[in-house]
Amino acid sequence: MSSGSFARRLATFLLEWAISFAPGDTIEWGNAVLGELHQVDGDWSALLWAIGGASMLLKHALVAIVFPGRNHPLSTSRNLFRQGGIVRKTAIYGTTACIVAFLLFLFAPVFRVAVHVSLAQWPPLFHVSPFDRLGPDPRLEALKRKAIQKRDGEALAFAAVHTRDQSESVQLAEEAVRLNPGLTWVYGVVAVDWSFFPQVERWTSALQTFDPENALPHLIAAERIDIEQIENRKTPRNASEESSEWKKAMAAAFQSPKLDTYSKQLEDLNRTVLLRYQINDPFLISTDHLWYRVPSYTAADSSRYAELLLEDGKSREDQGDRRSAFEHYSTVVRFTQTLGENGGFPMARCLRDAFQRLGSLSVKEGNSQQAELYSFLANTADSAGKEESFAVRTQLDSREVSHWNALLARASGVALLLSGTVLLLCVVSLVVRRRSLRLAALQPSGMTLAFSFAGAVTALFSSILLYISYRPYAEITQRFIHTGDNTGLADLSRFLAFTRIPLGAGGFFGKYLSVERFAFYFWCSVAGLCVLVLMLCISRFLIRPNARAANKVG
Amino acid sequence: MAKSLRMSPQTLLVLERFVEQPRVWRYGYDLSRETGLKSGTLYPILMRLAKFHLLETRWVTMTDGVPPRHTYRLTPSGAELARSQQSATRSVAGVRRIALFGGKA
Repeated sequence: MSSGSFARRLATFLLEWAISFAPGDTIEWGNAVLGELHQVDGDWSALLWAIGGASMLLKHALVAIVFPGRNHPLSTSRNLFRQGGIVRKTAIYGTTACIVAFLLFLFAPVFRVAVHVSLAQWPPLFHVSPFDRLGPDPRLEALKRKAIQKRDGEALAFAAVHTRDQSESVQLAEEAVRLNPGLTWVYGVVAVDWSFFPQVERWTSALQTFDPENALPHLIAAERIDIEQIENRKTPRNASEESSEWKKAMAAAFQSPKLDTYSKQLEDLNRTVLLRYQINDPFLISTDHLWYRVPSYTAADSSRYAELLLEDGKSREDQGDRRSAFEHYSTVVRFTQTLGENGGFPMARCLRDAFQRLGSLSVKEGNSQQAELYSFLANTADSAGKEESFAVRTQLDSREVSHWNALLARASGVALLLSGTVLLLCVVSLVVRRRSLRLAALQPSGMTLAFSFAGAVTALFSSILLYISYRPYAEITQRFIHTGDNTGLADLSRFLAFTRIPLGAGGFFGKYLSVERFAFYFWCSVAGLCVLVLMLCISRFLIRPNARAANKVG
Repeated sequence: MAKSLRMSPQTLLVLERFVEQPRVWRYGYDLSRETGLKSGTLYPILMRLAKFHLLETRWVTMTDGVPPRHTYRLTPSGAELARSQQSATRSVAGVRRIALFGGKA
């Protein structure tokens, strides 16, 4: 028996440490195990002996914390676990300190906004679109009322853009433009959001008059025709079935020298109104950078029309009308370049084909230098398209910092809600048991104290995490509102887009779990939990009293 | 009081060791070696037996700086319970044997 070996020293240390935690009535037994330790043959056997003893002591210590009053006579020297003992006092002070710190956090406006952001993941679980909120936003409602009272066109336009009710949005936009015709561009933004409503035709004509060089009103018109075709089950299967109205709208879009989605005007409007009405809501300044700001069918419509032009150009080329073919191919190139970042990448293949056709046309005309240039441009278009497509996929695959921050914010939000519920249940159970609201009478049991402590620590820890994860975006928001600096606005938009996905759906934990499927599993779990609680209640309040009554009779 | 004591197979094993020499003081480590029980199992049993006054304990001072050792032996009520448990176990085993093989208890 070598008393100095590492394993034996570790065994002694372990037992002594466990004895320091042991409740009064088990200290003697801890010392008994320690006394025998010196008799154990072999260092590793001694360590195993100590581990067994220490686990027994710690188990008793844990039981003493959870059930402090349960038969634990205390030694006079070690009053750790009695009512008013060190652990109990520490737990009470710790719980109070954590709750106070959490309440102090609530005083910080940034934290309140962060909590609001962390709650954005819940609406999809109530069958509301992930891009909507639960019910009307009270701040937006108040803004609308003020704007109507003051006849503030800009505020009305702002409300029209952010309202999630189509008819209200359309009505507000019309009123805004009536008050301030310079805001006609708002029609473009609202029409892109809703696409199909009775006033859309009138709006597109107004937009064409307001901004005659812009392709946007024509794209909106084409989208309306497309939706109409789908609703009437007349979806064209090939180019020959395309309606002349749609072709006319797309031809006008392809002939337009520019595509303006009014992002700049929208940013300025957001900033002006948020400053004027002192609103601090990041959701109201974010723009959907993931989906651009063009009508949802733009990519499909443009590709379809570009293919139509390329085919037509080819047939004209075959007929010997090279000039007309050249114009067709050039139109495709020009429009794709006009689209640029506004959804241009799905048209990369059309652009490559157009350059290739232009190249072959140049060869036919004997211009080899120009043919080489077109060939180079075709290759560049191809690789640029692939790169942009990869960038979009990366965004959707969520490998960015904004994704991780959003994940942290969502997790903290869930932890905050859970810990808040636990704390509330503890308070309710305490008041119900003691039947009093006087602080002096509220002596929590060990179990209640343990749960309260865990809840308070979790609440504080998740508040810190939420604050840290949201802080950079609060700075981006403030910088934008106060200075107009839109650096980081795209990051903010991505972060907010991710916060709208419920924790567990998409991204990290269940990369391929859709929001709809997650909502289904969530409600199944809630229903299961309710059934379990119901069964427990029945067992506690109906079956057991009956059994007790039967025993008494027996 | 003894009715509340759970007679697990391990508890019976420990009692069996004590019954062999009821008046002899036994050390925890010796009991552990004889029964094959680990410290984490043996000591809770000893604690329960002592709590129900079936076991008496005392500290034995050692020489040469070796810490004192805790020793145990059965109280009269402990010895009585241990013997009754032993005979009950035997009779149960006997009934089983009769039921299975038709022999004598």
